[in-house]
Amino acid sequence: MPERHHRRWALAGLLALLAAPCAAADPALVAAARKEGAVTWYSGLIVNQVVRPLVDGFERTYPGIKVQASRLPSGEAALKIMNEARAGKPQADVFDGTAVTFRLAAAGVIERYKPEAARSFPEGARDANGDWTALNIYVLTPAINTEMVSDAEAPKTLQDLLDPKWRGRIAWTNDPTTAGPPGFIGNVLTSMGQEAGMAYLKRLAEQRIVNVPASQRVVLDQVIGGQYPLALMTFNYHSVISAKDGAPVRWLPMQPAVEVPNPVGLIRNAPHPNAARLLIEYVLSEEGQRVLRDANYLPANPAVPPLDPALTPAGGHFAATLITPETTANKLDEWTAIYNELFK
Amino acid sequence: MNPAPTALAAGAPIRPLGHRLARWAGPTGPLSLATGLVLAALVLPPLAVLLQVSLTTVNPDGSPGALTFEHYARLFADPALYRSAWNSLLFASFATLVSLLFGGVLAWVVERTNAPMKGLAYLTAIISMGTPYILYVTAWLFLFGRAGPFNDWYRSLSGSTGILFNPYSLWGMILVEGFLWSPLVFLLLSATFRAANAEMEEAARMSGASILDTVWRISLRLAWPAILAMALFVFIRNLESFDVPVLIGTPGRINLLTTDIYLATKEVPPLLGHASAFSVVMIGIVGVLLLLYGRVSRSAERYASVTGKGFRPRPFDLGRARWAGGALIGFNFVIILGLPLVALLWTSLTPFARPIRLAAVPSLTLKNYRAVFGVASYLDLAVNTLLVAAGAATAAVLITLCAAWIAARRRAGGTALDQLATLPLVFPGIVLGVAMMELALRAPFPLYGTLWLIALGFLVRYMPYGMRYAYSGVLQIHRELEEAAGVAGAGPIGTLRRVVVPLLSPALLSGWLFIFLIAAKELSMAVLLSGPGSQVMAVAMFDLWTNGQGGELSALGLLWALLMTLFATLFYALGRRGSAGAFGR
Repeated sequence: MPERHHRRWALAGLLALLAAPCAAADPALVAAARKEGAVTWYSGLIVNQVVRPLVDGFERTYPGIKVQASRLPSGEAALKIMNEARAGKPQADVFDGTAVTFRLAAAGVIERYKPEAARSFPEGARDANGDWTALNIYVLTPAINTEMVSDAEAPKTLQDLLDPKWRGRIAWTNDPTTAGPPGFIGNVLTSMGQEAGMAYLKRLAEQRIVNVPASQRVVLDQVIGGQYPLALMTFNYHSVISAKDGAPVRWLPMQPAVEVPNPVGLIRNAPHPNAARLLIEYVLSEEGQRVLRDANYLPANPAVPPLDPALTPAGGHFAATLITPETTANKLDEWTAIYNELFK
Repeated sequence: MNPAPTALAAGAPIRPLGHRLARWAGPTGPLSLATGLVLAALVLPPLAVLLQVSLTTVNPDGSPGALTFEHYARLFADPALYRSAWNSLLFASFATLVSLLFGGVLAWVVERTNAPMKGLAYLTAIISMGTPYILYVTAWLFLFGRAGPFNDWYRSLSGSTGILFNPYSLWGMILVEGFLWSPLVFLLLSATFRAANAEMEEAARMSGASILDTVWRISLRLAWPAILAMALFVFIRNLESFDVPVLIGTPGRINLLTTDIYLATKEVPPLLGHASAFSVVMIGIVGVLLLLYGRVSRSAERYASVTGKGFRPRPFDLGRARWAGGALIGFNFVIILGLPLVALLWTSLTPFARPIRLAAVPSLTLKNYRAVFGVASYLDLAVNTLLVAAGAATAAVLITLCAAWIAARRRAGGTALDQLATLPLVFPGIVLGVAMMELALRAPFPLYGTLWLIALGFLVRYMPYGMRYAYSGVLQIHRELEEAAGVAGAGPIGTLRRVVVPLLSPALLSGWLFIFLIAAKELSMAVLLSGPGSQVMAVAMFDLWTNGQGGELSALGLLWALLMTLFATLFYALGRRGSAGAFGR
């Protein structure tokens, strides 16, 4: 169930500090992984920023185990993993991705695994059954071009988005996932309730939001470039990265924000199950999470705070609606249908 | 292979069985059969997967479920169907017209006149085809968009707050698609015009016809089968194109037939039934169009102007109109290449996305280029990509050379070969990718995840382009040359090798170049078919694009276009030297 939460992350962080600093991985697992010698990872993460540094770090820590990483958009990742499983020739050991996980769970191709490294993770950042564990956290918020919109003009609440001055000037990605319009719709329905939420969405649809057929990051770049003054559902850390380079952009802590864990997991009948477990342990460990943090991502491990703590609901003291893979499995089709009906 | 539908397909009267069998027993029979088998092996398995996907539901684990006609029903259930269909028709027709007019006139000016700066036209075509598609479209959108320099200037000159150009419109879409494919038309028709015999044109000029008259009555008429084939081909491609309609149409809320289908393929996992059903319908339409085309070009020999007689094409002297020809080449350069390159260069030098303004100049930086050179793995990707693209282009040219010759000469099975080789044109990339993936997973030898699989996928996907290049080329060559070779004792292979290939070399070269350049930037199949050890450049570029690293992407894109241009120019120069021998130039 989606739930609002404020301080859970801070609490979990405290717990993590109290726990003994995590030692190296289980020697038996390392030995078994060495025997396999390789691990294949189908990743939706950005290669140059995250995947390659993680792979380098892993191979340095565990020499003799080679990581083969393949960059795949979520749709293609799901398609490949499912087809390979059906043909009885699974190729990959590890997957990640917000949009992939719940489909893979439904297809029965996930091998459950509860990583040691994630014991200190808060509840919303790991699956109770072990289907997945959060690798990092995405917080989705609106963002503005600060040359086109002054602080006074910037919308503060969801209701402000209904101001006629925004008609035709708001953009969002057309990504049909919880990190796109369906996630926004889910957030509204969860926080306002079904009836008031639908009434709000119908009025928002009259604003004729521009559907940009590109990723959240590209939409934000179009805001920076002056195409649109305001975008919804942008990853808030992207605004911070660009603003550091001098770009006229700022993310808005409009409440509630949308919070989506980015899961990582193990594939059933994986050719290298032990090396896969070791890789998962590594990317969730403090060392692995520091790589993510240094790339400006929001780490899932509470022991590794993000570079800018204000980006998380706990650190920035704003409310957020958490959308887990389970919620996605139950609700995504419904939210997508509303998007198709009202906003396309 | 069954010859019966072939005879029917060609619109020929039904001949007695004995006659039809005799065609197969002729000297080209075995070649027809061999080409047919290769084509069938390449095209029919993906076709079977396409049909299956279009007729079944999908289980949660991705396996095909129960039989259904729902995907077809959904095609016709769209409440705005007529509007979408009308938009699609407008889009496809006008974009075809733009490509043909622009690319065709340019090809004629470059090949048949003494206009200056001809090299620039080739350079433009090659670089533009070597530049990744997404970069290209976004560059135009960037320039002509709300925050682009043209609307910026308009606002500062007129004092208005509105916009002069709205690229997010049907006309914006038509122009972008039209310009995008004009290099294809240019390359194909320039091969046609180069091989055309100038004797008739000269006769017309000597009888007092004006240049325009000569072009209208002679040059165009002679190239007619090639132009018509090209028009049909580009039209079909436009009708089933996804990228431009989605990139430009979605923000502008202009729906085409393919818009919905594209969105379905973006779901996780992609819903392919709808796309497949649409492709099956398109296959029907293409089949009918090809039959019609077969009727039109039945008397194609009348157009063959490459004969055994002294053959020296000579360019027209445009006289004082030379500058007009030069201006056209210059305009082509500016629109197709200059402006997008400026936009790319700008984006590659700015630290974040910024409109083109003088005030931004001090912030320009080379950091994106440093970032590109800092990634060592790009070298592997580049090598992989060049190998795959060159392999696919070579195989496609070889196969379609045989198929096109048999089809154009109306040998046994010719029409069936043409249909087979053209079929993949309407396969959406992702559907073809899934089909190839399924087949490779079931292959008894390790094919899955290798470069071979990607090359095979590209071969199937781009064969139709090779077919058009080769087919139009063969139509120009008069039978008498081959008959002479036959009389002199050459078999079909010998005739192909010693007579057809040398005369066809301009068309084959253009075809090879086109497939090479377009395959090197293919994404939808590359993403599905590449394994951890067989990643290609397009996937890396996609990565940068999704991540909004527009600056780094532009830098990489420019360097990549430079590399492709060097490679293609080298190849082309070598090839032209070869073809010069055949034509005595």
